[in-house]
Amino acid sequence: MSVWLAASPVLVPLATALATALAYRHARLQRLLSLAGIVAFFGTALTLVATVQGGETLAVAFGSWPAPFGIEFRIDRLGASLVLITALMGLACLVFHESDADPGNRHPLLLPLVHGVLAGVAGAFATADLFNLYVWFEVMLIAALGVFAIGGRRDQLDASFKYLTLNLLGTLLLLIGVGAIYAATGHLNYGALAEAAAGLPPALTTLLLTVLGLAFLVKAGAFPLFAWLPASYHTLPGPILALFAGLLTKVGAYAVLRVVGDVFAPPPAVLLEALGWIAAATMLVGVLGAAYHWDIRRILAFHIISQIGYILLATALAGEAGNAATLFYTLHHIVVKANLFLIGAIVWRLTGSYDLRRIGGLWQARPWLGVLFAIPALSLVGIPPLSGFWAKYLVLFEAIGQGRIVWTVVALLVSVLTLYSMMKIWLEAFWRPHPDAGWTLPRDARLAPAVAATVGLAAITLWIGTQPEALIAYARAAAATMGGAAP
Amino acid sequence: MLFALIALPFAAALALMLAPRAGRNLSAWTVGLAALAGLAILFVLAPAVFGGEVLRARAPWIEAIGLEFFIRIDGWAWLFAFLVLGIGALIVLYARWYLAPEDPPRRFFAYLALFMGAMLGITLAGNLLLLIVFWELTSISSFLLIGFWGRRHEARAGARMALAVTGGGGLALLAGVLVIGHIVGSYDLDLVLASGELIRSHPLYVPALVLVLLGAFAKSAQFPFHFWLPHAMAAPTPVSAYLHSATMVKAGVFLLARLHPALAGSTEWLLIVSAIGLSTLVLGAVAAVFQQDLKGLLAYSTISHLGLITLLFGLGSPLAVVAGVFHILNHATFKASLFMAAGIIDHETGTRDLRRLGGLYAAMPITGTLAIVASLAMAGVPLLNGFLSKEMFLAETLAFESWPSYQLAVPVLAVFAGICSVAYSARFVHETFFGPKGHPPKTPHEPPRLMRVPVEILVVLCLAVGILPNLVVADLLALGAGGVLQGPLPDYHLAIWHGFNWPLAMSAISLAGGLALYAILHRRGIARRIDLLSRGKIAFEGIVAALIGLAQRVTRTLETGRIQGYLLWLLAFILLVGASPFVDLAAPLSTKPAQPAGPMAVGLWLLIVAGALTVTVAYRRRLVAVIAMGIVGLGVSLVFALLSAPDLALTQLLVDMVTTVLLLMALRYLPAISPPEPERLARWRDGAIAVAAGLGTTAIVYMVLTRPHPSIAEYILATTMSEAGGANAVNTVIVDYRGFDTLGEITVFAIAGIVIYALLDRVRLTALTPFAAKGPAPHSLLLNLCAQLILPLAVAVSAYLFLRGHNAPGGGFIAGLVLAIALILQYIAAGSEWVDERLDHDWNRWIGAGLLAAAATGIGAFAFAHPFLTSSTPHVHLPLVGEIHLASAMGFDTGVYLVVFAACLLMLAMLGKVSRWEARD
Repeated sequence: MSVWLAASPVLVPLATALATALAYRHARLQRLLSLAGIVAFFGTALTLVATVQGGETLAVAFGSWPAPFGIEFRIDRLGASLVLITALMGLACLVFHESDADPGNRHPLLLPLVHGVLAGVAGAFATADLFNLYVWFEVMLIAALGVFAIGGRRDQLDASFKYLTLNLLGTLLLLIGVGAIYAATGHLNYGALAEAAAGLPPALTTLLLTVLGLAFLVKAGAFPLFAWLPASYHTLPGPILALFAGLLTKVGAYAVLRVVGDVFAPPPAVLLEALGWIAAATMLVGVLGAAYHWDIRRILAFHIISQIGYILLATALAGEAGNAATLFYTLHHIVVKANLFLIGAIVWRLTGSYDLRRIGGLWQARPWLGVLFAIPALSLVGIPPLSGFWAKYLVLFEAIGQGRIVWTVVALLVSVLTLYSMMKIWLEAFWRPHPDAGWTLPRDARLAPAVAATVGLAAITLWIGTQPEALIAYARAAAATMGGAAP
Repeated sequence: MLFALIALPFAAALALMLAPRAGRNLSAWTVGLAALAGLAILFVLAPAVFGGEVLRARAPWIEAIGLEFFIRIDGWAWLFAFLVLGIGALIVLYARWYLAPEDPPRRFFAYLALFMGAMLGITLAGNLLLLIVFWELTSISSFLLIGFWGRRHEARAGARMALAVTGGGGLALLAGVLVIGHIVGSYDLDLVLASGELIRSHPLYVPALVLVLLGAFAKSAQFPFHFWLPHAMAAPTPVSAYLHSATMVKAGVFLLARLHPALAGSTEWLLIVSAIGLSTLVLGAVAAVFQQDLKGLLAYSTISHLGLITLLFGLGSPLAVVAGVFHILNHATFKASLFMAAGIIDHETGTRDLRRLGGLYAAMPITGTLAIVASLAMAGVPLLNGFLSKEMFLAETLAFESWPSYQLAVPVLAVFAGICSVAYSARFVHETFFGPKGHPPKTPHEPPRLMRVPVEILVVLCLAVGILPNLVVADLLALGAGGVLQGPLPDYHLAIWHGFNWPLAMSAISLAGGLALYAILHRRGIARRIDLLSRGKIAFEGIVAALIGLAQRVTRTLETGRIQGYLLWLLAFILLVGASPFVDLAAPLSTKPAQPAGPMAVGLWLLIVAGALTVTVAYRRRLVAVIAMGIVGLGVSLVFALLSAPDLALTQLLVDMVTTVLLLMALRYLPAISPPEPERLARWRDGAIAVAAGLGTTAIVYMVLTRPHPSIAEYILATTMSEAGGANAVNTVIVDYRGFDTLGEITVFAIAGIVIYALLDRVRLTALTPFAAKGPAPHSLLLNLCAQLILPLAVAVSAYLFLRGHNAPGGGFIAGLVLAIALILQYIAAGSEWVDERLDHDWNRWIGAGLLAAAATGIGAFAFAHPFLTSSTPHVHLPLVGEIHLASAMGFDTGVYLVVFAACLLMLAMLGKVSRWEARD
């Protein structure tokens, strides 16, 4: 059973991808299979978390080749929680996709590709092998590229090209990094690498981790390596955009955490220093980009970058507290960010545009949507008692504790600008009257699945917000076993 | 009971949200009852609190970060909670009559209840983090209330400004509290208040102080954050009366008082707090004289009075604290009643513009009388409450000891502010109720009876406190001040008459001077011509505009939409960061002697370099460039062969062939015109980046290859025969040791194929090159013949390579490519139409079948409770072929074979078809 369970993060979505691909001629059957697959994935992911939360790690050696010789999935608390959030996002976004809020064209390859993306994401979270991690990055990249490309609109093709080119550069760098690390240590397995790293000259470790880290930072969308993200994301259909926005960059951020916070922990101090400054710049540039734009999707896309900065900052603070903060922030943020995009899609359905200059009047017409928007939006800003407040608390407390004044100030400043940005959406889309005086709500909107998904995610944000104790404890427990620290 | 106290308003808000049809009466009653019930609880608690007890109730919340739901009621908390609930109840009554029938009452009262709860939370919180939670909640509810008429532009602008300033201040406060938490090790108010010495002597004291003060000043509209308050007057008047004069803006000074024992008493505190308070006092008082809007005048007056209170807390002496607490109470009573009066005037006349009002006393004598009495209190006229606290204030400014010039400035400026306050009070009264009749939009008359009741109650309180202070307010004041000081009270004496002394003289100067000032201003009409509003607004909007401008510049620089620019950024940054570790690399690069380079190696190296250079130089001649790239690939495969890696050599060769053919086919669809050549300088820059990237990669590879490196490869070489059952370690790695990677990679390949199919299916290119428009190319008969002859042979070779792959160079990947190339040859020789007629398969299915085969092999292991992809290895000896490995790994390799082959052909077939669809159109 455990043999199967440990492999499930990849096997379940891959099997779903295959099944939905085979059913590509039968749209209804395909959707049923897709939903069944994601529910199964969610179920196994829950089991996974339940299994490892006591401290046990769940491992499987593929092909029965023992570590460090074969490939191993080794799922600890960190990996399990991220797999669970992946499944949860898949569930929410696929349920949402059943509504008619910006579903895009329902290409028969869309669902198989989405499950392919999920397999890549979950595989990256589960694996304990550096090259295997690269493979899952590639699966993610190619499946995501497919999602961009099958839309077929001119802007989507342009987005695909930019997405591919810029990401491939990161992939190439990743490959160089993985190859160089293998050549230097003779290992790919995380556990073996952790032991071998001690024997490397520190300067070489710095170099190797720099190459690897840069590759991950491209994937995470850190400054100034994020160009692929705003160049492409806004062309995606709403629910798919939400899924990508929630998950993809976080895999890069996770990889940074896994490498500097676990496998190679403690890394050379200079790397953490550099990461911290990159994080600060990422926060600031991201939020400035958001301030400039008027399209809800573009605003939110730049906030992804800004929030990645917070996550990386937590990682740069390192140690148990920094790592716990990273995990907590990541989990909270995935839910919030995806939900904001989903709510944006509902706004689009009701008002007919993503452009804030062309919409309005929602607070009069649909107050519940305003409440629904306010929950993730205020959480993103870090207003208590929502999940984002505790996430920011954990980061700021540690930053202050380490005397990182500039980083703290930047983080606070960015929070103010984030608040400003969320207010902009609120004022324009909700309070301001619709610029078209003849505008009325569409009568035939099919929003029930969309509402179910967004309300569900908002409930999670509220739950984390009011009862963060369990998640904080979980994140701390996860951090306690990282980086060779005694459990 | 303590929890019920704080839960009541929230329960009321929730009830209103859930009650779909609540009208004005029901909504008002719901919130009003919550406030009254809260007051009742306070009265029940009163004996204990007045007896000096501190009431505490704790519930665990987030122990992990030291946050408890800790309610702590001492005298100061009790007094402030009393203020919040008492004025709240009056406001509810007032708002019931104020709201227009078209305003949604449910929403309004729910916001109001939310605010009331949040404000109670601030006062009663016994844990600083808990205080922050409620602090931000007041900002949010204030935002909602200011924007209650969100359809109006100025409501939205005011709400945005208020939340940006107070919310931002809240974040600073959070940081300050975190620093305090670090110093004290707890957020528990009892501990923090007891740790004043520790905090003040800590090196982080100044940052903590500044951050906390930022939060408090932003909330209490202190200079230079004062500007949001006048714009918050876009809110309905009950909101202005409640939030923006009596309670929320007092949260800042409440906090100053609350943390007084922990933070005050240092030079920094004295300097910052008193200076900010003094400047706010003066600035607000001057600005208030030159307002045309009734509420604007009251708003600036509020700013000024808040400055006065801040100044008092800044002076820091126990007596000053008592005066500050007293003035908080007095200001709340007279200012709330004045706002309500202004609201009544607005309600009944339709305007708040002083230039359009006048002579209202005849039409509304009762309201007029009430407003006049409250104004007198604001001006600090004897027999009213404002006078008493102002006297104490003036006495404190005189008692203040500091640098001589500052010591002199404080009382002088205090008198100056007093003059102004008399002037604006006089203006408020005179230009509204007396003088020539104005031209308001509506005919004025008295408001509904009940709307006036709250004003009456408050004005009576002003009088009662002013005349009988010891009877009415002494106990309350002692209670509150005791809570602030957390210790014994100083000796003070509440009385109307203290004899002839300096403070009395200062009051007299203020009164006379203020009246004179107003007389001059009024006669010359100066006050009506100058409008001092919106300096801060201009600054705020300037800052916002600057930020947006910065955002615009940054974003336009970074987000150009040009991929070349993006790549430049990316590579330049990677080089910059990647190069920095080299600086530290003092150790020699290599620790192992390098192998000598033979002539063959040098030759190949030159070939590869030449090929790469050719691509760079001749990239505009696309055909040449593609061929030169093929040469590079060939060179690499020869290097592999030279280093005795036949599998790699073979794979590289085949991949290179397929790639070249695909590229050549794709060339047809490129536009005929290339983008213009970059400038010379840019080319040199790009060249330098490329060379640096190449050298950097080389350096890394050189460094890691010249170190001794034990590796897992040794284990694999040692066990490939015995454990994996194949002599060819490369193949066993692909299908067995690291079969899982391969599964991922063939998934990638399969998706790539299918996506290309989806992309190109029925695609129509708008502009083809002239080259492509020529139509079907002529076919060589000889090539055609050869290709057809080779095909069966190639199929046989492919099968052979596949079967032997486990033990000798070959395997599913290589075999799949060989078969694909044989078919590609058919395409080239005979044309895609000819091949498709004979071999038009749905390659997607082949890909699916391949993936299924690979996955099924892996899943088969589950049947034996082995991990995914575990293989079993029986050996079979076949005649002619030799020993083969009929293991489960074979099934996996079949999957690889199918996917590689089918995906290659799929891409090819699609590229071929595009031109045919094009030709038919």
